[in-house]
Amino acid sequence: MGASSVPSHLRAPGRSPSRGGTQSRTIARGAGVVAFLGLVLLGVPALRNAYWELVLLTSAIYTIVALSLALLLGRVGMISLGQVALLAIGGWIALRLGFATSMPFLLVVLATGLITSVLGTLIGLPALRLSGLHLALITLMFAAAITLLLEATQFPNGGSGFLGHSVLTTAPSTLRRPGFASSDAAYYRLVVVVTALMFLLTIVHIRSRPGRAWAAIRQSEAAALAAGVNVTLYKLWALALASFMTGVAGGLLAASGGGLTVYQFPTQNSIILLAVTLMGGIVSLWGPVVAGLLFEALPALLRMWGLPSDLLTILFGIGVLQVQLTAAAGLASQVPKDLANLVRLASTLIRGRTGHQEHLG
Amino acid sequence: MPDLRPYLVLGLALGGVFAVSGVGMVVLYRATGVLNLAYGAIGALGSLIAWSMINVFLLPDWLSYVVAVVFGGVASLLYGLLVGPPLARRDPLVKAVGTLGFLLILLGIMDWVWTDKAHALILPTTQWGFQLGEVTVNVTQILAVGLAVATTAVTEVFLRVTRLGTAMRALANDREITATLGVPVRRVEAAAWLGSGLIAGATGLLLSTLVGLDAVTLTFLVIAALSAALVARLQSLVVTLVAGFVIGILQSLVTPFSLVSSYRSITPFVVAIVALLWFARRRPVVLS
Repeated sequence: MGASSVPSHLRAPGRSPSRGGTQSRTIARGAGVVAFLGLVLLGVPALRNAYWELVLLTSAIYTIVALSLALLLGRVGMISLGQVALLAIGGWIALRLGFATSMPFLLVVLATGLITSVLGTLIGLPALRLSGLHLALITLMFAAAITLLLEATQFPNGGSGFLGHSVLTTAPSTLRRPGFASSDAAYYRLVVVVTALMFLLTIVHIRSRPGRAWAAIRQSEAAALAAGVNVTLYKLWALALASFMTGVAGGLLAASGGGLTVYQFPTQNSIILLAVTLMGGIVSLWGPVVAGLLFEALPALLRMWGLPSDLLTILFGIGVLQVQLTAAAGLASQVPKDLANLVRLASTLIRGRTGHQEHLG
Repeated sequence: MPDLRPYLVLGLALGGVFAVSGVGMVVLYRATGVLNLAYGAIGALGSLIAWSMINVFLLPDWLSYVVAVVFGGVASLLYGLLVGPPLARRDPLVKAVGTLGFLLILLGIMDWVWTDKAHALILPTTQWGFQLGEVTVNVTQILAVGLAVATTAVTEVFLRVTRLGTAMRALANDREITATLGVPVRRVEAAAWLGSGLIAGATGLLLSTLVGLDAVTLTFLVIAALSAALVARLQSLVVTLVAGFVIGILQSLVTPFSLVSSYRSITPFVVAIVALLWFARRRPVVLS
């Protein structure tokens, strides 16, 4: 029960996070990624359905946020309960920069990421030397405080002063899109590309020096320290990287259309995001993709079917408990295994042998 | 300089409920190692049930209030019995995240059944008031302060004097050794869940009168209580009590100052950050 002990569910299961498996598996995995990217890049705009395009666009943005949370949770063993609040801050900064300067869009998004990165690190700093529980609590308080602060400040909409919010205009708080991606379909593609870049950034980190340091910290902070890992530096690094990605996501969200409002970022969304990230899986990199879809696309689906989306909150709560109780690796790892088991079961049944219990197990 | 006395009364009452929530959470944390983040949600659901009993089913008020408090105890106990034991050996962080799942379930139920329509629950004690100088004080506010002080005192004595209290303190030190000594660990933990849940139910009722009956607000008011508990390092009941009052009064006293008035709700967060910075001055490396 030591302050620095690592929850056992946060430790990677058997498989090592980096290069495992044979060459053919790597190729198959690469082909899977390319096929998935091709589908979301070209397939979705071809549907010409503005509603679902917007839903999937926000799903992609929340995938980035879930990725940042999964990085903290699965790779370093840190929990942030304020990631959606940080996303709101990213949106606020992007709007502020967008209205105050004439920087090109991508530069605004990059600058937003960097500023959010500094802020996110500062928030985590007081809790960094205390236990993981303290970081979780301080980020939860931060989430609640930001919700209340934003209600007072609102999002910039081109007004004057530092807050940049004017009650006189009804102008929405939107960031102008870049010239090369002003249409909805083009902007959707841009967001998907940026999301892919964030995954690339994560993979580069995981496979190099910081990734190894994080793995050591996750196993045992004391052992990592003894082995010469600069624990404080690499924990700060993880916080900075996660906050950077969340800031970028905030910048992208600010231009997604319709304008940002305070009501998009209630405190419970930070907790729901944690729930879907845990349900999606924090070890596999497909987890955040599943989490993004659970967070944005599933409620849209329920709305379409006319079901109350409050049921989802209950479902996500049960999901959190299920993951905590069974230390499950999440849907992204579990569903392929279940499917493989199902296929094996089906093939045995077809071959005339009745199902054996071990196939189910 | 505005007259601060009315705000002092409001702050004392608010601080009382922060303090009593904090005490309920610290007792549970000390006995079971679980920081129950669903604490506010349990109280909120109890109050909403009381609201429905009074306004929809037209049942007597006192029965509804009793049911709200009992509901708090039962809901907390159920969670403790079902989820507590499997997570007992895990890190406090995992246990706390588990209660977030409970929070989402309760919040989902509240949004689904009671929707986001406005509800109001006014305890009869709110109508009984008296003049204290130029300030009107109502009995609910006194109840909040009294409940905080009484709960802290009773719990402190209970932990020191009774067998069950001693068992809880032993449990807080080392669960395995306590079990070896023949203490019925699970039963003691269940008692802590029940007690803390009853306090949650009573606090929920007071808060829904003092702050307003809104599922989300009440659920996340736990954060202010959490701040008081953090200042006490999740250990001392008396420090939690004092910190709760200080936070409540601070938050209330800045209300008349227009420059910071709209930011007053972040007071607990600021207090917690300052406390954490103070604690983090030096830290030993802990071997797990």
